[in-house]
Parts: sequence; C-alpha cells; structure tokens
Amino acid sequence: MKITTREVVFGLLILVALVALRVFWPTVKAEKIPSPTVKVTAIDSTACIAPTEYMRSHHMQLLNEWRNTGARDNRPYVNAAGKKFQKSLDTCLGCHSNNTYFCISCHQYANAKPNCWNCHLSPLDKP
Amino acid sequence: MKKVWLPLLMTGILCLIPYVGVQYGGLGYLFAIIIPCASLVILIAGFAIRMVNWLIRPVPFRIPTTCGQEKSLDWIRQDKLESPSRLSHVVGRVLGEVLFFRSLFRNTKAELYAGPKLVYGSTKWLWLGGMVFHWSLLVIVLRHSKFFFSTVPPFADFLDNADRFFDITLPAFYMTDALVLAAISFLVVRRLRDLKLRLISLPTDFFPLFLILAIVLAGMSMRYVTKINVLPVHDQILTLMDHSFILSGEIGVLFYVHLFLVCVLAIYFPFSKLMHAGGIFLSPTRNLCNNSREKRHSNPWNPDIKFKSYTEYEDAFRDKMKKAGLPVEKE
Repeated sequence: MKITTREVVFGLLILVALVALRVFWPTVKAEKIPSPTVKVTAIDSTACIAPTEYMRSHHMQLLNEWRNTGARDNRPYVNAAGKKFQKSLDTCLGCHSNNTYFCISCHQYANAKPNCWNCHLSPLDKP
Repeated sequence: MKKVWLPLLMTGILCLIPYVGVQYGGLGYLFAIIIPCASLVILIAGFAIRMVNWLIRPVPFRIPTTCGQEKSLDWIRQDKLESPSRLSHVVGRVLGEVLFFRSLFRNTKAELYAGPKLVYGSTKWLWLGGMVFHWSLLVIVLRHSKFFFSTVPPFADFLDNADRFFDITLPAFYMTDALVLAAISFLVVRRLRDLKLRLISLPTDFFPLFLILAIVLAGMSMRYVTKINVLPVHDQILTLMDHSFILSGEIGVLFYVHLFLVCVLAIYFPFSKLMHAGGIFLSPTRNLCNNSREKRHSNPWNPDIKFKSYTEYEDAFRDKMKKAGLPVEKE
C-alpha cells in the first residue's frame, strides 16, 4: 500500500485543525464580577414591606417587579415608610419562612398557581 | 346615535349601582347574596319557561332547509348533514350549528358595483368573530369553576392551564381574556361601521355586548390591574355553595360590580335575544328530518273530517243519479 503525497498533506491538515481547535477553543473563564454590596438593615420582622391588606392583594405585583428589576438594578427597594429592602425572594422568606406553608396554604385554597417555584426552591422542598 | 349611547349609559349606571350601594350604603348582603340568588332563580325559571313554551308548540310541517342530496336509492350517496333523515344526522347537524356555527360559515355579502353588477362574496369575519367570542366565553365560564369548588375539577384545571399557556405576566395572562376583548370590539365595530347594519341594529343588540364588555373589564381589572384579595371572595362563594347565606368577609368593591353585572346579565337572559342559546336547539329548519317522502307527517290540529270516497257517494245516490241520467260506474 502506497501513501500518496495528497493523503499526507490531507492528514497533516486535519492534524493542524485538531491542534488549532484545542488551542483556540473558547475557555469558560468568566470575568469575576464583585457581588453587589447592598446595605440591608437587620431583619425586623414586626412589619412587612407594605400593610397586610395591600400585600394580600398586591404581593404578586411586587414580586413580579422585584423579579424584573432585581437582577439589573441593585438599588434596594424603598417602601412608603422609607425602609430599604433588598429585592430578593429571600427578603420575603427571611420572615415568612418561619411557616413552611405560608405561601402554599392560601394559594392552594384559592387555586392560584404562582410560577415562583418553577425556578426557586419552594419552602416545601427545602430540607 | 341614541341607540348606541343609551345602552352604554345604562351599562355605566349599572356599574355605579353596586359601587354606591356597597361603598356608601353598606348593602353588601344585598349585592353578595340576595341579588345573585334571585338572579339565578330568574335565569333558571325564565329559561325553563321559555324553552317549555317553545317545546310544546307543535311543528306540523317538515321545514328543514336542505342543500344536499336527500335520502334516495341505495346507490345515491345521501348528504347526511345537509339533508338529514335520521335522528343521528339531525344531532350532528344541530351540534355542527351549536359548536361550529356552520350556517354562519356560509355567510355571504352582496355588493353592488357600477354596471350595475351585483356581486356575492364570502365573508367569514362574522363567523370567526362569533366563534372566538362564544368559545372564549365558554372557556372563561368553565374556568370560573375554580372559585366554586375547594378542589378544582380536572377539566377546569386543564382549561386553566391551557389558557395560561403563554405564561406571561404575574398572575399569568389568560389568552381568552384578550380574545374575548378582541371579539367584542369586532362585534361592536361591525354594527357601527356598515351603514346598513347600523340601521337595523337595535339598542338591544348593543346592550348585551356592552354589558359583557363591562363584566370582562371588571374581571380583568380584578386580576391584572387594581387587584382584589381573592380569599374572601372564594370564602363567600364556598359559603354560598354550602347553602349558608352568610356574608363572610370584606370583599373589594370591584368584585361587587363584576358580580352585579353578571346578575344583570342572568336576569336579562331569558327576556332577550340571548335566548338564542336555547332556541338554537329548537330551530325547525335545523332539527327536523327531511323525510317527508318516507313518512307521513300529519298536522296535529287538523279537524277530524269524515271523508267520503266516490264509490261511497255513488252507492248513496245511485238511484237518483240514474234518474237524472248521470253516468254511473257500477250498475
């Protein structure tokens, strides 16, 4: 069996391509972004972000707004009383996680299906 | 355009009645319990009375409108939907009408051009608008069953999930809400745009559209815009479903507006053109078999006439006929 020059050149080209792929393969070294430093006041669980009646009817609006702006804008949320809150579900759960069924009991009763737990870990699933 | 703004004004006033009554009059019990129950009774009784009234009317003649091959010899294929001859065909025909508006699908529009030339063209817009409107309303009504039961019936759960399929906004946007608004807008604009149609439209054509529009807007506002706390509403409905007529909690006033308008619609239903919901099942041009050739249908109110055949006549008068010189068949 005779190896032709063409086959040698072709083989070399493939070798070069493989080496080049290995060398220039994009690496997944993302830039290290300093985590946003938000000054959060110590948890004061005596009062919620807004009055209870408002929260009962409008909590989904607030959560939706936090979800949409929280990732892009690290300024804290300021409520009517001037208190600052970090826009995070953990802010809510900071107080409300003392009852595992805090979210689920009403939603189940009202047959409402929030999509929070599509991504977030539901308090029910937390170990 | 008095006949347009009058129903609009009526709808506005109807919206204000529960608002004032609950907000300033403290008439929560009246609007949450008495009126809904009364309207339900009126709806059911009124609907039943009108249906019975229609049902007991005899239908002496076969008057189906046909546009297909009638049942004939075995080797000629019958068009079973367009010229029904059996109960099953009729059921299919009426269901096609009720569920898919088949007649409306054949809707045509006549236009006069210079010449003069009269041209007929097919217009499917009314069919499409009507289909979207009615199906959306059906889905919306069935979806509401989640408020009436403590555990959602499976079909309602399925409809609910299908309806919020796109999963945009929080709470999830129901596509039927957008569809029904689009359809109502179309149906109103349709009556206003064409001069001929505007001429034949009555206040009673606009009123149900405006009323349903107001109901939809109030409902959507409760869900997406102004928001009300749904728990006391659910409480209230479950208490009513449990046959206890107690006012259970503080409910947002917008709910009373929504509920009152639904009650008005329910009361208005048996007295208005909305009875087409029941009437469509009884339309004789659709629900009768085209079987006059194979079965004799006699008019039930025909008087009982004693018929006399010629032979009997001759038997009675033979002698006299002979005397008078008239020809007789039997000597």
